Amino acid sequence: MSAQARMKPRFSFAEPKWPVFLLLALVILTFAIPPIFNQASSAFTIYNVLQNTAVLGMVALGLGLTMIVGEFDLSVAGTYALGGMVAVKLGTGNPFVGLLAGLAVCVTFGLIQGLIIAKLKINSMALTLGGYLVALGLTGTIGNNKSQSFSNYDIGIQLNQPIGTVFSIRIFIGIAVFLAVFLLMNLTNLGRGMRATGGGRRASRTAGVRVDAVVILTFGASAGLAALGGILQAYCTATATSNPGLFPLIFAVTACLLGGLGLAGGRGGAFGIACGALTIAMLSELFSTVAAPQYVTGLFTGLLLIVVTTAASPYVVRKWRERRIDRSLKIESKALATSDSSSQS
Amino acid sequence: MSVVEDVLPSRFSISGMDARRKITLLVTILFFAILIFATVTTTGFYSVQNFKAIITAAAIVGIIAVGMTYIVISGNLFSLSVGITAAVSASTFIWALRFGLVGAIIIAVVFGAVVIGLQGLLIGFTGANPIIVTIAAGALQEAVAIWITGGVSVYPPENSPSFAFLVSPLFGIPFPVYVFVVAVVLGEVFIKRSRFGRGIYLMGESPRAGRTAGLPITRLTTGAFVVAGVCAAVAGILIGAFNQSGTMTASRTLTIDAISAVLVGGTAVIGGRGSVVRTAIGAIVIATISDLLLLRGYSTPVQLLVLGVIVTVVVILSYLNSERAGRS
Repeated sequence: MSAQARMKPRFSFAEPKWPVFLLLALVILTFAIPPIFNQASSAFTIYNVLQNTAVLGMVALGLGLTMIVGEFDLSVAGTYALGGMVAVKLGTGNPFVGLLAGLAVCVTFGLIQGLIIAKLKINSMALTLGGYLVALGLTGTIGNNKSQSFSNYDIGIQLNQPIGTVFSIRIFIGIAVFLAVFLLMNLTNLGRGMRATGGGRRASRTAGVRVDAVVILTFGASAGLAALGGILQAYCTATATSNPGLFPLIFAVTACLLGGLGLAGGRGGAFGIACGALTIAMLSELFSTVAAPQYVTGLFTGLLLIVVTTAASPYVVRKWRERRIDRSLKIESKALATSDSSSQS
Repeated sequence: MSVVEDVLPSRFSISGMDARRKITLLVTILFFAILIFATVTTTGFYSVQNFKAIITAAAIVGIIAVGMTYIVISGNLFSLSVGITAAVSASTFIWALRFGLVGAIIIAVVFGAVVIGLQGLLIGFTGANPIIVTIAAGALQEAVAIWITGGVSVYPPENSPSFAFLVSPLFGIPFPVYVFVVAVVLGEVFIKRSRFGRGIYLMGESPRAGRTAGLPITRLTTGAFVVAGVCAAVAGILIGAFNQSGTMTASRTLTIDAISAVLVGGTAVIGGRGSVVRTAIGAIVIATISDLLLLRGYSTPVQLLVLGVIVTVVVILSYLNSERAGRS
């Protein structure tokens, strides 16, 4: 009882709600638009969306955590590739050895980046650009500059096997990871420390948050999550690509911004990131359902990213806040005016 | 700038400053020692032909890097898609040859200036994150290029004017090198001597102070990106002329090379400090490294790895030596 009483106020769900509505709107569109092109969405569409989100959503979650603490990990596109490559190279005998090796390499990589960023107060975008190149260079060097195939097909088949039409083990892994991060963010001191760090470094430090430790751990987590996404992708397709390009990063940034995270930090969480990732996965699935050429997807992802970045820019955010303050002031003055007139009469 | 450098060290303890300087000096000496050792032990490095290859490569990367220097000094970090714009400009140039050589050059340059300038306008006006905007703009340019060309290379029209002189040697030195030298001189004079250039330095030094002092932030940011666009387009024209066609694959490591050139030259990542001449030296160093790796038979990933290590180390050193370290 006392434990429950202590737990209850501790759980704090402090995330914007609008990403859910955005996602719902897209679900409706996904089923409403294809008939116009004489196509139809089905349960398979949902399965595909969830499959893609299980992989790229992981990268988004990693990047998102760094955004919440007010940093930005560009290198997730590199650790995504590196994790998959290491796992495929070392996991031929036992996939779990590959998984652990890939995770270990990337988490170490992330922790080192976090250490440098936290201790030297370096702009994380500049440092992780270097980290991205190093990770990508390592991936290509290990993989001889070409894709490496994974001889263990069984694990991929098992991971992708549909369960209950729209689920699979891969999807369950994705859900489990998102749920774990969600609970960690909302139930533990570390989670609150992360939001606090993103909200204001100096205030958090004064309040007793170990800011440096939070930043270092967050970068370790972001690299680990991106690697997990890369490993899942590599195992499920039985190949590790040498250079996946910037698409995973573009997906991740867009998902985070659509999920209610800000570039200034301190806002959003795993739930919003999940909504954002599902939204983009839905969008690209919608394009492939209506059989649009590849460049149309590229066009839309590029445009969408520009739009959401602009919407998250300081200017737009300031205008938005001013409008909200104006509105609340108006309501207040109206209330004052009515109370004045009532007291006079 | 030198005034600032003279005054500031007094704020720090001398021993602390010394350690930082020592580290930087040590790393720089170590770096050049490795570089010189590598040139001596690599067969085929010391030849006229190889030097020509290096300066030509340095010229193309260097021209893009001159523009990138403006973006970095203006405090907007980097553009992650100038290489793509250069490649698209190459295609634009080749396609536009039907309007004559001068017409094609003008169209390509205007194209580059507008495409990258618009990104600057958006970034300057709204304060949107430059890295994300330029990544998105890159994806967009790639998609549009594939849409228009259908994913195949662009070739010059039948009755195209001759453009071979753009890449052929003049007095024994490849033509792009002259363009590079002109770009560096113009770029350096423009940023050091013009009101616009000084505004860019001030804005990069402290955007907030610049805004308070009434600097036209939007115009300056747009201007810096327009310069980058013109440079990317000029490099694109030379790439197009060299390949005698336009393809998207031409862009591969150009963006990263240009960023590395700016950083290795010693222009501060956080803006407000650096110069175009430094970038020119950086471009030659980067081209030398790429050449060495190529001569030794290393593949692109190894080049990426080496560039990544260099970028990381330079970024760290740049922060160690910055008086703003610990505040940004």
